[in-house]
Amino acid sequence: MRTLGKITRRLFLERGLWATALIFWSWCRGSSNAEELHTYKGTDYIGKTREGEYKNFYINFWKPMRRINGETWELKITGLCDTPQSFTLENFKSFTTTTQSSRMKCVECWSARAQWSGFSIHELEQIVQPKPEAKGILFHCGDEYKEYLPRTALNQDQVILAHSMNGKPLTDAHGFPLRLIAPSKYGYKNPKAILEMEYVSEHQAGTWSKIGPYSQDGTILPGTDHPLEFGKEPRRISGGEITDY
Amino acid sequence: MKFHGILIIFLTFCPAVSFASKMVEIPTGQFIMGDDNDPYATPRHKMYLDSFSIDRYEATNEEFKEQFPEHSFWKNAGSHPATKITWEEAKAYCIKIGKRLPREEEWEKAARGDDARIYPWGNKPLRKKAHPFHSGLIKRRVGLNKKDVSPYGVRDMAGSVWEWTASDFYKKKITRGGLWNFHLEYEYSKTFDRNLVAPSNRLPFIGFRCAR
Repeated sequence: MRTLGKITRRLFLERGLWATALIFWSWCRGSSNAEELHTYKGTDYIGKTREGEYKNFYINFWKPMRRINGETWELKITGLCDTPQSFTLENFKSFTTTTQSSRMKCVECWSARAQWSGFSIHELEQIVQPKPEAKGILFHCGDEYKEYLPRTALNQDQVILAHSMNGKPLTDAHGFPLRLIAPSKYGYKNPKAILEMEYVSEHQAGTWSKIGPYSQDGTILPGTDHPLEFGKEPRRISGGEITDY
Repeated sequence: MKFHGILIIFLTFCPAVSFASKMVEIPTGQFIMGDDNDPYATPRHKMYLDSFSIDRYEATNEEFKEQFPEHSFWKNAGSHPATKITWEEAKAYCIKIGKRLPREEEWEKAARGDDARIYPWGNKPLRKKAHPFHSGLIKRRVGLNKKDVSPYGVRDMAGSVWEWTASDFYKKKITRGGLWNFHLEYEYSKTFDRNLVAPSNRLPFIGFRCAR
């Protein structure tokens, strides 16, 4: 019999088959226990994931970021307003809380619905008093993501600064301690883990609009949606906020 | 000679603005409406319509601002289709200039002609990728796309923006269109595509044209 060094051809084939089977087994095991592969679980960081509990609500971040400490976090309101100041989570307790069910539609084609609780931008603006020339807000986020929305869009119904999701405080993955919910816009116009809101006089391109093929307006367009909780089964959408399901 | 040259250049590059108010007469007769393969447009059926006129172009920002001075738009977007307008506002505009919003069957006939074509220009998409690698809306001067022309000469019925019609379905208004971008599926809209939208919505991808 021909040999490969000390290994016979039969032995080589047998070991090869075993190795292939082992790789296949570990791959199957990995996908059935996906939660174990959650890169950021148990770490001080959070980042993009679709594993485990996030299979039904994907998580996107611009960059992995260190988890925010709610005790030291402050929301800075800066730029073109009469009384720029910072707010703690405790400060928001006196704000009128509104709860709504809204679908988050990602520009990547998936969507997911949740119940969001928070307060309207108007509550905040009564205190900080934006100047007349302030046309919009530039959001600065924990993952270095930046996004701009005009005040006309931010002061529409259903647009809130959310601190809770499905009756519980936002998780780190979903943007603790504060995120924007603008249901008529794609997810990239719903910044999360907000650190600063800067009133500006001119339209500015957000992070995704600068580097990706994404419109600066970000309104959800007519087309096809693939909702995660319905197994990504395609559904036609008419554009704007998805209210049908 | 020099004057003629300037005139030719002007007529070549500014027709949409100059002729935007022109209407096209759609003749009396039967046409095919709907499509059996589209659950939103089924059933395919014959329909008879009396003659009517419809605007050759979508109403522009400048035209809308003439009637409603508070209408604002981005710099250099005067000849773009007027959008972010509610259904009531579109209807009011048409009434103010002695017209009305078209019914959806009128819109479809104006786009489709009497030979049941899929696109205003025929049955094949102009290009597979109309403006690839962009997820958002790109608005341009009305009438810029010289190939997006219906058999009657009505412009921008497959591309540009979706359009309000006078027709409704339950509590929503029927928009016809429209967009040359079905989010990440780069294809012009078909003549029978329809979308249901709440009349109070003010969306950047919905404009309108008037009929009479």
